[in-house]
Amino acid sequence: MQEFLEFTLGGLAFGMIYAAIALSLVLIWRGTRILNYSQGGMAMFTTFVAYSVIQHTGNYWLGFTVALVSGLVLGAVLERTVIRPVENKPPMNAVIVTIGLLVLLEGVAGMIYGGQFKSFPPAFSVTGLKIGNTALGISANDLFTAGAVLTAALLLAALFRFTSVGLRLRASAFSASVAQLLGVRVGRMLTLGWALAGLIGALAGVLVTPQTFLYPNSMDAIFVLGFTAAVIGGLESPVGSVVGGLLLGLVTSYAGGYLGSSLVDLFGLAILILVLMVRPAGLFSPSATRQV
Amino acid sequence: MSSAGPLSSTGLLALAIEDVVAGYGGAPVLDGVSMQVKPASITAVLGANGAGKTTLLRTITGFVKPRRGSITAGGASLVRRSPDAIARAGVAHVPEGQGVITELTVEENLRLGALTRQGRASRATALADAYQRFPILGQRRGMAAAGLSGGERQILVIARALMAQPKVLLLDEPSLGLAPRIVAQIMDLIRQLRDETGLTVLLVEQNARSALSIADQGVVLNLGKVVAEAEASTLVTDVGLRKHYLGF
Repeated sequence: MQEFLEFTLGGLAFGMIYAAIALSLVLIWRGTRILNYSQGGMAMFTTFVAYSVIQHTGNYWLGFTVALVSGLVLGAVLERTVIRPVENKPPMNAVIVTIGLLVLLEGVAGMIYGGQFKSFPPAFSVTGLKIGNTALGISANDLFTAGAVLTAALLLAALFRFTSVGLRLRASAFSASVAQLLGVRVGRMLTLGWALAGLIGALAGVLVTPQTFLYPNSMDAIFVLGFTAAVIGGLESPVGSVVGGLLLGLVTSYAGGYLGSSLVDLFGLAILILVLMVRPAGLFSPSATRQV
Repeated sequence: MSSAGPLSSTGLLALAIEDVVAGYGGAPVLDGVSMQVKPASITAVLGANGAGKTTLLRTITGFVKPRRGSITAGGASLVRRSPDAIARAGVAHVPEGQGVITELTVEENLRLGALTRQGRASRATALADAYQRFPILGQRRGMAAAGLSGGERQILVIARALMAQPKVLLLDEPSLGLAPRIVAQIMDLIRQLRDETGLTVLLVEQNARSALSIADQGVVLNLGKVVAEAEASTLVTDVGLRKHYLGF
């Protein structure tokens, strides 16, 4: 029972990271029908930026903030420069461009920072919390992680639902040509979508890196699981990506805890295959079929 | 009879199209089209499938770039501007068929129409006006637009276009797929809008009889050229034209 509690809470905490990556992928997919394979690389890069700031100033929160802002800027700049030419082109063009971006970002990070593992500080203590004598399997930092992702998800949902910018973003995503007919500058909305995705990805990067070390490939495995979470959630739905992330966090945590940590990735893929067999469009997709 | 019109100054026209050549690569779909639309009038653009009616609208709203010719609305050129800029300049386009964003609610669709208006108060007024004119939309405001009937969707896209207080409303086949009774209601609505709000309408229709019943002017397109341009009442009585191009 004690173990089960630990694995559950630990799984939920890690699931929030997958959820954040999934959320950033969904933001871009909805707006541009592009799967951003460089999302993990972007998050790694902004975490390195945070690392430099923390090294120089010793201020964690300054690094945290700079990471988020640079994620926002990186997303916007990449959309304007390299993604804009492949929007509304055959899907393979965008696949190649975003994979190329991933290689580029990882290469540049290696050139600047080298390939060795660097430890990245957590925001709060990583000592396990206890209630009485019962270990909960999570730390204060895990609580912060979960709270930060949840807050970001809720803020995004509020932005989409209650603001005029959110209405423009949704209209551009659902029907770009109709949005344009109504005077929406769709191009700006796509840039904003990428910027927001860069921001959420950057958040995931600084939150997860204390547990993985920082190096040019540090986000690769996280990205694959975040991608899995997004597909489980149906790629369209922000709520779906959070649920997909949590589900995946739980399954991988139980698999790692009860059966051995080498099985985590295997179970991640197993649940993806299972979901795709039962509901090929994902758990939260509005339509049952989609052409990809 | 295509280009010479009674008004020489394009500034007095709601919409002026001069010698426009446009298409999608290859042979032009519009081959030197000219027409003039007076303010607070309904101009019906008629013709068979493939005559270039929809391409004409898409060229006016900037989705198709003309290779030649000029298009002005209230004297301001629309050529080489992006569709969203043309919309902000006061030209509203209700596209054929799928103009409703089905994933959004009725109210969100309407609010989308008012985004070009300045000021929260003016947007709120526009929404209240829309619900007053179209009570059915008020009843359905929180519903996903996917749940509306065909007639209700057509009312919604027209109401949404009006939210921006456009100078010119372009309507592409508003009767498409609707029952005759609903078509009559939509035509009535368009006439009311002209009479009560002074709206200028360019109405593209295959259903020539319905369109001419409310139009002031009629323009007949065939294979990308204007083959007739006259008062609607004149076109209706031209048996040869009706038989050749209008099918009734």
